[in-house]
Amino acid sequence: MNSAANSRMIEIVHVNRTFQRADGQMVKAVDNVSVVIKEGEFVCLVGPSGCGKTTLLQMVAGLLEPSDGGIAVAGREISGPGRERGMVFQKDSVFPWMRVIDNVEYGLKCRGVPAAQRREIARTYLERVGLGHVEKAWPRELSGGMLKRVAIATVFANGSRVLLLDEPFGALDYVTRHQLQSVLLDLWDEGGAAARRTVLFVTHDVDEALSLADRILVFHSGHLVDDLAVTAERPRSTDSLLLPDMVAIKHKLLAHLGLEKRAKPLAIVQDGAAS
Amino acid sequence: MTLVAPDVLTRPSPSLLSRARILLAILDPLRLAGVVLFVLVWQVLTLGLPAIILPTPRGVVERLVADFWSAPALSYYGVEEANLYGNLIYTAENVAIAVVIGSVIGILAGLLSARFGIIRAIIDPVMMTAGTVPILVAAPFLLIWFGVGRASAVCLVIFYVIVILYLFAQRAATNLDPVYEESARTLGATPAGIVRDILIPATVPEILGGLRIALAGAWGLEAIAELLGSQSGVGKVLEVLAGATDPQGIMATLLMLGLAAIVVDAVAAFAVARTAKWSAASR
Repeated sequence: MNSAANSRMIEIVHVNRTFQRADGQMVKAVDNVSVVIKEGEFVCLVGPSGCGKTTLLQMVAGLLEPSDGGIAVAGREISGPGRERGMVFQKDSVFPWMRVIDNVEYGLKCRGVPAAQRREIARTYLERVGLGHVEKAWPRELSGGMLKRVAIATVFANGSRVLLLDEPFGALDYVTRHQLQSVLLDLWDEGGAAARRTVLFVTHDVDEALSLADRILVFHSGHLVDDLAVTAERPRSTDSLLLPDMVAIKHKLLAHLGLEKRAKPLAIVQDGAAS
Repeated sequence: MTLVAPDVLTRPSPSLLSRARILLAILDPLRLAGVVLFVLVWQVLTLGLPAIILPTPRGVVERLVADFWSAPALSYYGVEEANLYGNLIYTAENVAIAVVIGSVIGILAGLLSARFGIIRAIIDPVMMTAGTVPILVAAPFLLIWFGVGRASAVCLVIFYVIVILYLFAQRAATNLDPVYEESARTLGATPAGIVRDILIPATVPEILGGLRIALAGAWGLEAIAELLGSQSGVGKVLEVLAGATDPQGIMATLLMLGLAAIVVDAVAAFAVARTAKWSAASR
């Protein structure tokens, strides 16, 4: 991979996606969104429900096709899913009919990695997410938080350079959510800044976005309405969220979500992606 | 809190557990007590009723043992096989043929109908109609087509098995959460891989459950089809014994049919538990 492609890991160019509602009306879920995401960036997608953030993520995953516009990953236009883009779903996606270790191996198996080698890789990542002791368990024997750990181990084991996470921790309790955030950040950061994978993380939790992201993209009614850099140092603590910069970003986010009065009317960000 | 409870790690594997449970279910003392009570009531009733109306339990069992390998009277009545064993094998063969053919067609049609709307649109009305009409009423029609040989009874049972497994397979595939397929696709699975690793394993427990139901019904339907027109089989035996007013023989034959069905169902239950040990429902 050359460095020119690396600096523009994900390019989303004038992407539109329309759906037909049951009553026949056309709805624009994603409306002319253009954005460039750099390699190694941890980007959170925030917005009220129905704002198009999950639709955009599914298009990057290749599970949905844009009605118009294009998406390129590592310099190549995507069509359909690809293993360089791993996805962690909101729902439990761990296959109940495979043992935990077989789930983690599944992507490697699809690629034809030899059995002994893929088992070793899978074991490594299961250990990293703290589940080395349940590799032979069936998924139904695991709690919701543990299933998310398995899902995270699976995408990391598959070696995807881009990770797409769709409200992965939304259904978890407070403590488990925070534990999993640090599991994710540790894996993301394990090889140092240069080895970081590119992450698109959809969330509706403002504090989650502030503690995880390098950059927060805010969506509203299918539009990209704000693009905020989060520069606070890592690792971030509870105190990090109280830094003046962070509080300022939080106010902006809350305003976008309609929870605080807006200082100024919505402006649609026109990123330079197309140029 | 997200760490697994220690008992998950130490308890025996689910397959062992389910095996033990099936054994226990067969040897459950309460169930045995139910059987004993039934036989007792039966025995008491025989004290007041003549043997031509109600034979004794002991007489029925003795008759079954005696007729199992050799029952010359049956050939006198025009049954090809002059023993119960041969007729049971004939019936069991027909059930096996019908269940294999019917389930292959039913499962394939059911899975395809769940995946492709057009196939569902074409097959659903046929299956729904076939599912509401008691399939047995087609027996005279099949007798016209195929005569009194194996084919008409087998056809009847095939239709029955197809309908049941079509519905079970379709429901299993429709209920499968799309997130599994999406997840497999993002991990790099090919369409063939998705069928092999997602669609089939995910639907197997429910389909095998349907297969057990179809199997249980197939025995009865096959026997009734033979009753209506056949040269051999348990149903044919029942028919001639009824003609000869032989309640003891009828009950001995029914007992044999029931025992055979129970044994086959136990084997099927064991297979379900083995194949679907990941699923909580199979335990």
